[in-house]
Amino acid sequence: MDRSRDLTMSGNLQSTVTLTITEKSGATRTRVVNMVSKTYGDTEKRMMKFIDPADVRGTAMLIIDNKESQDDMWIYLPALRRTRRIVSTEKGKSFMSSEFTNADMASGSNSDFNISHMPQSGENGLWVIESVPMDDDIAYEYGFSRKVTWLEKQGLKIKKIDFYNFDGDLFKTIEILRTQPKTGGGEGYIMTEMYATNHLNGRTSRVLFDELNTSASIPDNTFIADNLSR
Amino acid sequence: MAGFIVKYKWWIISVSTALAVALGLMIPTVETDPEIRNFVPRTMSSRISTDSIEKDFGVQDMILVLLTDSSVLTAENLGSIKEIDRGFSRMEGISTVNSLFTARKIEGRDGMMIVDPLVRRIPDNPARTEQLREDILANQFALGISVSEDMTAAAVTGTVNPDVPEYLTLNRVDSIIAEQDSEKKMLTGGLPYIRRYIVEDVNHDALFLIPIALVIMLLVLKLSLGDWRSVFMPFSVVVLTVIITMGLIPLIGWKFSILSLLVPIILISVANNYGIYLVTRHKELKRSVVPPGRREMLKQLTGSLRMPILFSGLTTIAGLLGLLAHSIIPARQVGVLAASGVAVALALSLLLIPSLIYLRERSGAKTRLPKDHSKDLLSRAINAVSKLVIRHPGRVLLASAVITLTVSTGIAFLRIDTNQENYFPHKHPVRKASELINSKFGGSQTISVMISGNIKDPAVMKGIDDLTQHLKQQEGVGSVFSIADVVREMTKALYEPHEKGYDKIPDSSQAIAQMFELYNMSGNPDDLKQLMNFENTKAHLLVKLSRPENEIIRDLRDEIKSYTAGFRAEITLGGYAIIMADFAQNIIQGQVTSLLFALLAVFILLSVIFRSARGGLIGSIPLAVSIIIQFGVMGLTNIAIDAATALLSSIMIGVGVDFTIQFLWRYNSELRKGLSHAAAIVMTYRTTGRSIVINGLSVMAGFSATFISGFLSIRYFGYLVLLSIGSCLLCAIIVIPAFMLWFKPAFIEANINRIKIKNDKNGKDVLSAVSTADSFTAGTYGTAAGCHAADGQKP
Repeated sequence: MDRSRDLTMSGNLQSTVTLTITEKSGATRTRVVNMVSKTYGDTEKRMMKFIDPADVRGTAMLIIDNKESQDDMWIYLPALRRTRRIVSTEKGKSFMSSEFTNADMASGSNSDFNISHMPQSGENGLWVIESVPMDDDIAYEYGFSRKVTWLEKQGLKIKKIDFYNFDGDLFKTIEILRTQPKTGGGEGYIMTEMYATNHLNGRTSRVLFDELNTSASIPDNTFIADNLSR
Repeated sequence: MAGFIVKYKWWIISVSTALAVALGLMIPTVETDPEIRNFVPRTMSSRISTDSIEKDFGVQDMILVLLTDSSVLTAENLGSIKEIDRGFSRMEGISTVNSLFTARKIEGRDGMMIVDPLVRRIPDNPARTEQLREDILANQFALGISVSEDMTAAAVTGTVNPDVPEYLTLNRVDSIIAEQDSEKKMLTGGLPYIRRYIVEDVNHDALFLIPIALVIMLLVLKLSLGDWRSVFMPFSVVVLTVIITMGLIPLIGWKFSILSLLVPIILISVANNYGIYLVTRHKELKRSVVPPGRREMLKQLTGSLRMPILFSGLTTIAGLLGLLAHSIIPARQVGVLAASGVAVALALSLLLIPSLIYLRERSGAKTRLPKDHSKDLLSRAINAVSKLVIRHPGRVLLASAVITLTVSTGIAFLRIDTNQENYFPHKHPVRKASELINSKFGGSQTISVMISGNIKDPAVMKGIDDLTQHLKQQEGVGSVFSIADVVREMTKALYEPHEKGYDKIPDSSQAIAQMFELYNMSGNPDDLKQLMNFENTKAHLLVKLSRPENEIIRDLRDEIKSYTAGFRAEITLGGYAIIMADFAQNIIQGQVTSLLFALLAVFILLSVIFRSARGGLIGSIPLAVSIIIQFGVMGLTNIAIDAATALLSSIMIGVGVDFTIQFLWRYNSELRKGLSHAAAIVMTYRTTGRSIVINGLSVMAGFSATFISGFLSIRYFGYLVLLSIGSCLLCAIIVIPAFMLWFKPAFIEANINRIKIKNDKNGKDVLSAVSTADSFTAGTYGTAAGCHAADGQKP
């Protein structure tokens, strides 16, 4: 799992991200943001600026995703001309009110879980790995009791992740619909289309990464709060 | 008819039994519907509005776990609250959770907007406990919602997920509570628990109330009829009637409700009457100097009693069908079921009992003859009453009028109560929980206001904010929540207190849109799910009522309507409290219309029976007086009109009208024999008077089983039905004879004259009619109990 995680660590990344949330009723909400991210060891920094819809255009976010401590987030609201730092400790919190959590969008930390092979692991060219939170508090923080990940034996690409709630029922599935090799060589890959289904409320979320660039040079001073309003 | 019975007796017995077995087998499939909102039609405007609001904002039914202690901020209590919160969060049966541990603290500090759990860790020293107390006092999303202001009560609230069976969710909640050290300090409440208690108590009542009513009726029949063989026949009619009628419920596709409990009780009280007429008349015929043969006995029995029993049954059915005028759905169902049951009892009495009597005659079984009760306490009491009425009819009428008028003052204090929490006794967990919720957590009943429009429009958002603040000031309102509260709270974190935008609704739609986006990034988007829809086109304002009284709810409804008249958005008003306020209005309308319907039907029937509209009016006097007394006593004793007590009048009219018919019929026949008014009254007292009293007492005895009901409302129904049938009985045997003596109404005389004239022309027909009347009135309990003064009249 550590190897698989390392393959998804993107280093530098620039992309246009389209997030579409679809309610059970069919109502949809779409957000388009420009995203720039860079990984520094166990810390991932992301800058996101809203392009669409019009009334939130210019809204910007800076996220410092610390693997071993709480995340930091700054947000700029152009209509109020305000930048505010948001402090949150919950990794299980929804990402932009979608079915993805902040933890799903980051590369993840395997140290929070007990990891083991499922009985069917190895069949059909897939590893099936179960990750169980180390303790109750971690489980509560992440918002699930266990997850099961399907990985291709060849290449260790993630195909699907099932999440189980505290009743032991499957409540969410994330499918990796499309990946793209990192530009600039190497064996890593970028997940460019992910689809999350909430089996309890029928809501789905799709995130698409377009105009992807993993070899761009991103200056370190990109990730400062002063840049949010620019 | 006798020939038919002789020919098809085994068919009659077989079909009756088979029908009861077939329908009886369906009884276990009856479902109980504890949802009181199903009492009102789906087409009612408040229900349509509420359904529309719930379509967008989910079912608002909440489960509450309440913890009370001298302080809830101890490590043990907070630990329990945390465990329950976590348990709720992990349950599929609960959609959203609200507690101290889900409450967020939004604060601006050093240029940061900090959105964090209100309780990050359970305090382990007094200083941290004090800090938590201050944080709670400053947090409008927790104070009065998750913790009471005095910190003596905490609540964990879960909104139910309607996709999961409710009993599974409640069982799970119970097991979570049972695991807590603070279990004994906890109470559970909310509509899902109320529904469960209703189902449990309805089943418990059905299991105990019906058998107890049957045992009471068995004893009453034994006392009235003497031997068990005679008891068997009317009692078997009661049992078969109850089984067939209850089996109709699943057959029709209806569900059992609290009110359905009254159906078997009504039938047990009433269904035996017709059988008793037949059994006592059979005894009387057996006592004849030359008892008729089997077939002749059957002919005399059915010929003499068929029409009076039909009249008696039809008046009861007419009164019960008055319930059809109610808009309360289970009330209509009670009307249909009880009326059907009476029809079944009529049919079984007229066909099955004669068949059984015929077979019994064939087997040569001996019938125990009635004892002479002419010197017993009841006869002496009736004798005393008759003397009083005959000597002082004017004073009796005056005293009755004074008593009725005095009691009628209570009508001014009548109140309607549609709060289903009040179905339960005062010490019931439902009542304890609701009292705590009303006093410490804003209230358990809610009004929902849905605002449809562009919620991001500052004018609309300001309108929501104004309405929120305005409603917070209104009487009976415990708390109000809206999306405007969240927006204002966020501005407190975004602006400094001295800045213009602090604690204000922003002036641009972009600012509001961006704040929503900010909340989506920082808070839990599900937090807003109950306040605003996904597309930001509808907002939901939730008003909790600390005093869920109908007057307050109606005032609030009017206030909201007038306040939002100029809104730039469409307003939909709904919620449980609004449905209940409409329900109260329906009860009043239903009470009036069912009363008028039943009175009119009975008036028409009485007019036909006495062949005089005036006779119909006079015959209705006991009913009118009893209705006045019933409502007067309800007002004076503070017993409210609710779903159960609203049925009283129609049931009383259906059951009580018999007493007057029987009395007047007999009085009429005594006059016709040429007796003076006073002598006719004395004779009526001696014969039918006793049977009326015993009949009335047996009906009252049947209804007395309701005293042990688990529902306060059903118990009150029982007390009041005894009162109203009792007053109807007293009116029939005191006021009616006094009225007859004092006013000597012409319809009785005219009737006599007409019959006499007719007698001259067609003596045979009239003789038959006369004998029918006499047989009916004489052939009741009075005869069975020894007052067998049929005065030589033989059919």
